[in-house]
Amino acid sequence: MINYNTGKVPSSAIILPFYATGTGAFLVLCLLLVWSPQSLLMHYFNPHLLGIVHTAALGWGTMIIFGASYQLLPVISEHNLRSNDLAILSYYLLMAGVVLLVWALWSFRTGWIMVTGGSMIVLASLLYLINVVLTGRPSPQSNIQKYFIISSAVWLVFTTVVGLLLAINLGHPFFSRDHMTILKLHAHLGLAGWFLQLITGVSSKLVPMFLLSHAKKTKWLNGAFILQNAGLILFLADVYFIGYSSRVLIWLVVAGIGVLCWLVDLANHYRKRIKKKIDLQMKQTFASMLALIMGIGTIPFVHLLSASGQGSTFTMIYGTFVFMGWITGIILGQTFKTLPFIVWNDHYKKLTGKVKVPLPRDLYRAGWLRYQLGLFIVALLLLITGIATRQLLIIRIATWCWLGLALMYAFNVGQILFHKTKTTE
Amino acid sequence: MGTIKKLDDYTPQERKVLDPLYDVIDPELFVNIVDLGLIYNIEVDSEQNILITMTFTTPFCPMGESIIDGVENVLHIEFPDREVHIDLTFDPPWSPERLTNEGKKMLEMS
Repeated sequence: MINYNTGKVPSSAIILPFYATGTGAFLVLCLLLVWSPQSLLMHYFNPHLLGIVHTAALGWGTMIIFGASYQLLPVISEHNLRSNDLAILSYYLLMAGVVLLVWALWSFRTGWIMVTGGSMIVLASLLYLINVVLTGRPSPQSNIQKYFIISSAVWLVFTTVVGLLLAINLGHPFFSRDHMTILKLHAHLGLAGWFLQLITGVSSKLVPMFLLSHAKKTKWLNGAFILQNAGLILFLADVYFIGYSSRVLIWLVVAGIGVLCWLVDLANHYRKRIKKKIDLQMKQTFASMLALIMGIGTIPFVHLLSASGQGSTFTMIYGTFVFMGWITGIILGQTFKTLPFIVWNDHYKKLTGKVKVPLPRDLYRAGWLRYQLGLFIVALLLLITGIATRQLLIIRIATWCWLGLALMYAFNVGQILFHKTKTTE
Repeated sequence: MGTIKKLDDYTPQERKVLDPLYDVIDPELFVNIVDLGLIYNIEVDSEQNILITMTFTTPFCPMGESIIDGVENVLHIEFPDREVHIDLTFDPPWSPERLTNEGKKMLEMS
């Protein structure tokens, strides 16, 4: 007899399609970069770059984050995932929506394909929000991580709805405001609302868990929650109702202090950790934080140099640091802190203690993580250098490095996904 | 709040139950659950039934089910005729003070 409730981990059949599809999207993203490196030297509103950015943000980043969230929501909310069916449905909608949207953006077909793709992504984000809220609500424990997850899901819905309106506006103009201004709001909703707050919330739960930190105070996280949201809301309201001006730098500082509060919280966990040895997955994660700081550091240049041609270059550098440095970096690291455990649980949960079983790290080529981290740093620095110096050759070399990195990552993910049970008596 | 027994306080009979639990490893930390301090208490009643009171490092631990399965499996191999009861508690919650010296060494704390 067992008197316990450990909580039911969602079935891997729900989680793994997100990881498999996200990995495929990362490969496609790098192929698109190899195919169209010159798009990184044009104005950011060009069809190929729009396709590349949405492959990165939705096919790669959001796809993996949905999968990881469905796995981690029970840990954060201390309650079973409310609906497996909604999770599965959100996968099909997101996957199909991304395919349609990216194809329509890449070939710039403004019409029903783009709108249908956008609508499916809106529906996927709504289903995700419903699952997040219903999973978090019954928990007696109120924690700041849960608020981050819920607020990020609300911002995601806001982002996708504005994105859908932008797609409609391209074919049938109806905005009273300038399309490019709304595009800026859409981009920052996604980055500072969805990605930043989701990653802040999840990392503030996972990093202490992985490092076995005994830091307990949440005042820095509370500050991060208030400031990140305040900075974003003030930015959106100011730009939409009054217009784009130098005041955006004030809202950047507010949200930036919010980011700083989160990093201070992570640093506290790092200092008070019990597990002294930092594995490569966590090193990759910390490297991605540096990319975020560098990205935020370029925003004032984007604004101050917007009148000159340099503004567009800094916009590209900012986007590269954020998508390829921060979001990609954190996924490359955290995939190998989550996926092997999900698959290991499937194969060995019932066997542990009975027979000798491999460890989760034995499910893939753990030694490759060193090369993955090295290639990630080289590829990112080359891409930034190529964009900053406007040298197409350097950008071309960088995109091939990214493709090599994607192949290495995909091979290792494949090793985990197609693992066969191995035991010795 | 449940009773937490120190390792030195186990009777020889309880110690026989504790020993196989060293083979149950937390797959993330690579430390066995005894040195990690997850075992709060072991009782063996007059009918030789075994009651384990234990915890996880965090509620809703993603590896929780596999740890519980590991405890059941090693005890069923060692004591096939006995009933095993597992009581999972978070009162008190696990804290780093629960680590044994061996556990601290394994985590490179010392």
